[in-house]
Amino acid sequence: MLKKSMWYSILTIACVGFIVLAIGFYQAIIITTAANPQPSAKAETPQTSPVSTKLSSQNANSFKLLILGDSIAKGTGDEKGKGFSGYLTESFKNVTSKEIIVNNAGIDGLESLGLLEQLQNKSLDKTISESDIILVSIGGNDIRSILSLNDLAKEDQFKVRMASYLGNLKQTMKVLRTTNPNSIVIILGLYNPYEKVSSAEDTKLLNTWNYNTQLLVEQDGKGIFIPTHDLLKFNLGRYIAKDGMHPNSAGYQALSNRISKSVEPIISGL
Amino acid sequence: MQQSAVLELNNLRKTIKGKEIIKGIDLTLYSSQIFGFLGPNGAGKTTTIRMIVGLIKPSKGSVSICGYSVAHDFGKALSNVGCIIESPDMYKYLTGMENLLQFAAMDKQISQQRIKDVVDMVGLQHRVNDKVSTYSLGMRQRLGIAQAIMSRPKLLILDEPTNGLDPAGITEFRNLIRKLAYEEGMTVFVSSHLLVEIQQMCDVVSIIKQGSVIKTANVQEIIHNDQIEWQLNNPEKAIAILREHWNIEAVQLKKNTISADISQQPLDRINELFIREGLALTYCSTKQNTLEDLFLDLTEGDEIV
Amino acid sequence: MYSLIKNEVIKMISKKRLMFVLAILVVLISVFAYGQNQTLARTKAQLSQRMGITATDDWRKLAGQQLIDLKNRLDSPYMDEKNKSSTRVRMEQLQYNVDNNINPLEQSAAKFTTKFMEQAIFLFLPLLIIMLSADMVSGESSSGTIKLLLVRNVPRWKILLSKYLTLVILEVLVVFFAFVLSAIISGAFFGYGGWLAPVATGFKVLAGKLDSTSVLNVPQWRYSLMVYSLAFFVAVVVGSISFMISILVKSTAASIGIIMSTLVAGNFISFFLTDWKITRYMFMVNLRLTDYLSGSFQPIEGMNMLFSITVLLGWAIASIIISFVYFTRQDILV
Repeated sequence: MLKKSMWYSILTIACVGFIVLAIGFYQAIIITTAANPQPSAKAETPQTSPVSTKLSSQNANSFKLLILGDSIAKGTGDEKGKGFSGYLTESFKNVTSKEIIVNNAGIDGLESLGLLEQLQNKSLDKTISESDIILVSIGGNDIRSILSLNDLAKEDQFKVRMASYLGNLKQTMKVLRTTNPNSIVIILGLYNPYEKVSSAEDTKLLNTWNYNTQLLVEQDGKGIFIPTHDLLKFNLGRYIAKDGMHPNSAGYQALSNRISKSVEPIISGL
Repeated sequence: MQQSAVLELNNLRKTIKGKEIIKGIDLTLYSSQIFGFLGPNGAGKTTTIRMIVGLIKPSKGSVSICGYSVAHDFGKALSNVGCIIESPDMYKYLTGMENLLQFAAMDKQISQQRIKDVVDMVGLQHRVNDKVSTYSLGMRQRLGIAQAIMSRPKLLILDEPTNGLDPAGITEFRNLIRKLAYEEGMTVFVSSHLLVEIQQMCDVVSIIKQGSVIKTANVQEIIHNDQIEWQLNNPEKAIAILREHWNIEAVQLKKNTISADISQQPLDRINELFIREGLALTYCSTKQNTLEDLFLDLTEGDEIV
Repeated sequence: MYSLIKNEVIKMISKKRLMFVLAILVVLISVFAYGQNQTLARTKAQLSQRMGITATDDWRKLAGQQLIDLKNRLDSPYMDEKNKSSTRVRMEQLQYNVDNNINPLEQSAAKFTTKFMEQAIFLFLPLLIIMLSADMVSGESSSGTIKLLLVRNVPRWKILLSKYLTLVILEVLVVFFAFVLSAIISGAFFGYGGWLAPVATGFKVLAGKLDSTSVLNVPQWRYSLMVYSLAFFVAVVVGSISFMISILVKSTAASIGIIMSTLVAGNFISFFLTDWKITRYMFMVNLRLTDYLSGSFQPIEGMNMLFSITVLLGWAIASIIISFVYFTRQDILV
């Protein structure tokens, strides 16, 4: 009888199904409640980079530099692995005999909001309050995605993005100042690694961005805006790394020289 | 001949929403008895039956079937019962046979052969594999009976069983019940308002009114009657004669008619004496009582007789 | 008990209700899959327009870049410990896509099957279950067949239990067929693969916030299994509650109405979860168990997987107890 055979198949499916579902149910509970299940097998070893973890106290014989921001702050692209941490220190050494202690908190891909959050979570407060010079490289990741849009959307998106970036930057400056009223804050301008393929429109947007950044930074007496666009415009071949985006070793060196020249009097006076 | 009681009701009472609708019923039934339950609508027949089979719980009193209490030994008690309550509601989307198989599966002792026999017994051989939704009322009734007798119960309870049967069917049914009771020893409990049927089918009858049993009697005793009617010229003399010689109280009905229950005294001797005493006898006959008369008598008015 | 359950299942099959429910499943899944297909085509077209024709095919480059960024983020000593797990998990997923040449935009039978149940678990699935359960007892009451069922040498609780177990069997079946039908029908549109792709889970609620420290990847088939098991649990709970309601109300239509309205009300009540504490003990707002797996929910203090499961379990047990007590005691007057 058809109904009888249906009954048997139903019963079988039900019994097997019940067991399978019970197992799955148990797993689902475990995975959302129990103490740590196995995390991913890949263990990541932190890349060794010239990061100083020395917790130095405020010392008359030492001079502390803090580098904040994105991959450029970190030094990505430098085939010698020195970046700003290495080259700025060298440049400063020429001007002061004090020991130079560098702290580098750069994070690849960081955007202006991320930087603000990083500061707000307070883990860097001590370092900030003890630093004499704070170098910030930020904004490149904010602007990057806009450049690839088609023309119609670009202008509007740009305005929106810039407004939020400037807002974040303003907050960032505020936090830095509240934590350390005395340090020099250096904000780096953006350059265009795609200069060759960029339209006049794009260049105009970049300049607008940099200009507005400068306006904001200069409101702070101890803040300074240092442009990078002009230095790299005709030197892309020389100063840009193989990834086509970040500076290479020569680039970092050139930028470090410019920075140190701008703040030389202050450093030698310290 | 008297075996242990198949059905025993003891002071059975039921109160619903503050109103006592069954007011203490006592009853004992033995095997091979066909018992009739008579009463007007709302008297409590169906409620009593529901209490017997455990669909409703009694407020007081007890029901036991073959010695097993329905309240405490439900399984054992019910295993001796087959029943139809009001209309036999079967699963309309199943066939007759599938319905029977469903109920058979709940009772381990019913064999395929038994099911077949029962189907033959109720005359459904040709339609048993059709969906019940296609059955006429009569066929559904038959299927209901089949379902009830499948397990060879000692007690068969039927509520309005001849509903929807044609006269031929009713006769068939009556014969079937007789057979089950006398040949297989079943006790049959029939509740109906078809008085003629009860009269023809049952041995014992209880009349229930407003939740109480007002009379229980053998059917034969009720309809057997010794009521005689005479039409004579001198009714007073006849009444006197009857009183003196046989201690029979006669009643004057109309101008020249008297009636009396002669209680099996020889009618021919009485008539002979009437004539010898000079009475002119024009008419003499027995008056047939029917159950209906009794029923209407007892259930008329507000008084409980 | 075996024969009793067999009887009940045969009745269900004969009533054709089960077939009807499965037919609804087929129709809905087909419509859903077709719709998804259309959306996917449209999204692809939009992206091509915005980013240049190669954008959709260039997912490889994008994935590669994202991998590099994430790795660097991971290496930074300033990275918050909490975010490390989610970063690692994201990297594994990107790596898998690259290794197996899977464009993340594309749908797959596996993705669809999982997503479908995640969406269906709180309203559509309960509806299907209610169609089966609301009728089990009240149907027999209204048609009068319950009289014949109970006047047997079988105690009432056994009969009710056989009906309940039949309901559980049907619940397994519905979930099973939902899975199979989703996989088959969506496979016709999107291809039958995707079962090994990694899916992130392991989110926890700690102190009212979403905690991603123990996030890990599990293969899609395992994730799907967990989703469907949670769906089965929800089915059993909703089934128990509607079972009870149909016993109390004795009318199939009324009980369907009652429980459907409570389910819909749940959608509104979930707005009050933070402010009005008692609402979180209602069963309707705890039905979205799969959200705990995927981490896509508003974390509310005290509400996590264990809490919701306990609440639901409590409701189911209470329903069962009430059903049995009421059914064994009531006078049958039909």
